[in-house]
Amino acid sequence: MSSGISIRHDIVPQLEQLLGPEAVFVSDLQRYSIDGVLPTAVARPGSAEQIPALLKIANEQNWTVVSFGGGTRQQVGQTIERIDIVLSTERLDKIENYDPGDLTIAVQSGARVDSVSTACAQHRQLLALEAPAGATIGGALAANESGPLRAGFGAPRDFCIGVNFVTGDGVKGRGGGRVVKNVAGYDLMKLMIGSFGTLGVIVSANFKLFPLAQQTATFITEFDSVAQAIQVRDWLLRSPLAPISAELINPTASEYLTNRAPRDPDSWAPEAPSQQKKRWMLALRFAGSDRLLARCRKELAFASPRDLTEAEQMAFWRAVAGFEATAIERHRNGMIFHVSAPLAESQNVIEAAQGAATDYNFVASTIARVTVGTLVIAFLPLAVDPPGATQFASAASHFRSRLSRGASAVVMRCPLEAKPQFDLWGSTPSDIALMRKIKRAFDPNNILNRGRFLVE
Amino acid sequence: MFSFGIASKLKKIVGRDSVLDRAEDLMLYEYDGSLARGMPNFVVFPQNTEQVSAIMKLACSEQLSVIPRGAGTGLSGGAIARRGGIVLSLARMNRILEIDVANLRATVQPGVVNLDLSAALAPQGFYFAPDPSSQKACTIGGNVAENSGGPHTLVSGVTVNHVTGIEVVLPDGRIAQLGSKSANAAGYDLPGVFVGSEGTFGIATAITVKICRLPESVATLLSIYDDVQDAANTVVALTTEGITPAAIEMLDGWTLRAVEAYVHAGYPLDSAAVLLIELEGLREAVDEQAEIVSAVCRRAGAREVRRAKDENERQLLWKGRKTAFGAIGRVSPSYYVQDGVIPRTRVPETLRKIEEVGKKHSLTIGNIFHAGDGNLHPLILFDARDEQQTRRTLEAGREILEFCISVGGSITGEHGVGMEKQDLMSSLFSDSELEVMARLRKCFNPDSVLNPQKLLPSIRTCRETVMPGHASLDAPVASGAELR
Repeated sequence: MSSGISIRHDIVPQLEQLLGPEAVFVSDLQRYSIDGVLPTAVARPGSAEQIPALLKIANEQNWTVVSFGGGTRQQVGQTIERIDIVLSTERLDKIENYDPGDLTIAVQSGARVDSVSTACAQHRQLLALEAPAGATIGGALAANESGPLRAGFGAPRDFCIGVNFVTGDGVKGRGGGRVVKNVAGYDLMKLMIGSFGTLGVIVSANFKLFPLAQQTATFITEFDSVAQAIQVRDWLLRSPLAPISAELINPTASEYLTNRAPRDPDSWAPEAPSQQKKRWMLALRFAGSDRLLARCRKELAFASPRDLTEAEQMAFWRAVAGFEATAIERHRNGMIFHVSAPLAESQNVIEAAQGAATDYNFVASTIARVTVGTLVIAFLPLAVDPPGATQFASAASHFRSRLSRGASAVVMRCPLEAKPQFDLWGSTPSDIALMRKIKRAFDPNNILNRGRFLVE
Repeated sequence: MFSFGIASKLKKIVGRDSVLDRAEDLMLYEYDGSLARGMPNFVVFPQNTEQVSAIMKLACSEQLSVIPRGAGTGLSGGAIARRGGIVLSLARMNRILEIDVANLRATVQPGVVNLDLSAALAPQGFYFAPDPSSQKACTIGGNVAENSGGPHTLVSGVTVNHVTGIEVVLPDGRIAQLGSKSANAAGYDLPGVFVGSEGTFGIATAITVKICRLPESVATLLSIYDDVQDAANTVVALTTEGITPAAIEMLDGWTLRAVEAYVHAGYPLDSAAVLLIELEGLREAVDEQAEIVSAVCRRAGAREVRRAKDENERQLLWKGRKTAFGAIGRVSPSYYVQDGVIPRTRVPETLRKIEEVGKKHSLTIGNIFHAGDGNLHPLILFDARDEQQTRRTLEAGREILEFCISVGGSITGEHGVGMEKQDLMSSLFSDSELEVMARLRKCFNPDSVLNPQKLLPSIRTCRETVMPGHASLDAPVASGAELR
């Protein structure tokens, strides 16, 4: 899709002319290196209005552009060969409009998810967007982030009600608006969410908010096998209970929730493997009044759950949300999958991961969002006889071969050396030919994140 | 004759009894639920995906437009054959293909009636959440096309929140799969962007939807007001108090009197407005919330708050709401329903504005709407035989929608743009924003064979859809596509 020869020595003067010299820099680029590739220049527009002009020139000159928020997901996808411009949204960090009475908020894409959440919490409202620490609104949407609250509040596609973006050739696009119900025009929010910056640069977005729960309760039940835990999950799906979080945590993953202190990187060793057999954990969180929580406790009594105290709850859910980060902190060479599969396949996915991991000298640590059907699975290399680059590829393909056609297993992170060995995105049940057409329509010269995504 | 040849080709694909081409039969397909009309040249009733694909291929080679149609209950003219062509009715593709409780999914053909799916799910304790007022007639294919809502979408979301997989036939006849039974599929969210495309991207031939558990307990409250502004303020108060009922519906005094005369739902005839508020969930939560909501209503000035004492009374209250449009049909020769959306805090001032617009144009406007999410359905009464009154009606509708835009709202919450609100799209979106939408449509429907001249403003669409060989088919419907 790439075409023409770019004249790259012009990049910096042209950007400076367009954005002002204070918005362009060429030193201290290490912060923006992606898979070891350094950009030629970093542009930090101070106004959203500058982005269309910037992308128009880039498109004409065939300069490749990577939009950059908090940098928390830049390692996703195939290595981008050449980065002419990193377009940082860090200066576009304003809350444009927040009317608590309407339970909606409009935010620029460079605002941090955590700071927007804090602003909402001050009004006892919840932005249900969960993302890695440091992530921005634009980045979290581009990466379709979700966390334990997805069971209760849905994914970004369910609560993002509007998006403003600029296409690869500098045309301003918009989907939705600021009201919670709206079918005017095509639903471009859905297209931008999860597109990993390949269709446009997100400039701002609007969200529906939820009232913050007055109180929550978390119940932990433990099981000797995944099958037992899944039975309780199946019971739950048919019961009238509606947890806001429901996570099945495998024995090795629980290791990363109880002890966050980094030990030797690249080695997995349970605290005391011989002493105590770790069990499968099903963690359920409910929100509501005393009476409602008492009812939930009663319904669950057959599984003899452990009730977490308020302080324990906070720490526990923070640890669950941070599982991926903790695993990678301890194991630089870990491989992380985001899996989405039909609900009835949960056990199969968990077992397939375990099987594939063991065969290729990994340990599979899994947190499954069991009422949604999404899973975070970390393949953690064993310290003894660690897997080589091709073994990452083999493990992934072995794992994927055991999933149904409707499932997806995307590698969100793996060692750089392993990346060229395999397809990080895996197969998709959705039509690739249409995806390619959309990519060409929104980014005709393929300047956005060139080479990163599955449609190329 | 040209069209005779096409008719026999269509009959070869779908069978002799599945093609209509005589004027008296076609006339029935000139309308949908909107004010628009347009005469098709053919109506076909495919029974499976392969037939839909073959029809699309034929239409492409003959350069005929294809207009997909569900039950024809749409309110924005989405199913109108603007320029003639083939109306492709999905009415006979009405099988529920699979109910998969283990995965909390059902897969249906597009012609399955919305309420029939919920009825089929009920014995197992499940239902399909989107509940448009026309749910006794409208199809799930139509719900997908329009991204339909309904009263209960306040808590459970609109159609797009409940669709994870769609098999579609693209305008060139190719069959493509978008998504699956999984919550996400790797790559772009194609089912997400397809829902709400109003039949301009492709024809959904199999739809996989989420199914939801029937709530353990439901409470329906009727909050009665002497001043419509108090009702509006209650909506704001409930939102700010952080209570999310399953539904908050509002009927003003004029509308509820018209409804009561027809349905005898038990609405108080002397009130200025009522709110119909529903709470769902565990018994404990519903009982507690019902008390909180009643208190909020009274604080905001409700004269009385009643709770439906049994399922029968509950159904009756809802019957009043859901058959309201039918009730209005008895008191006025024609009516024009709008579908504006406003931020919820703007309900009180918007009601004042609607009253003002009615006075200005000497028109009666009833108000019935999904108050909880700010989705208004003002009903403008008029007599379609009175040309001048019709013009004032359209003008009043436009003024109301322009007001919605001015307070940060939208021109449609659930009925779609269709051909009715096409030109208002330019008030809501800039040229470049519309261009980006047109680019997306071209990815699916490059020659606008499928549902031409819908959704995007007409000037843009005309330019895009000029195709040689259409003139002869265009001529007879050119004036028929105007508003009645």
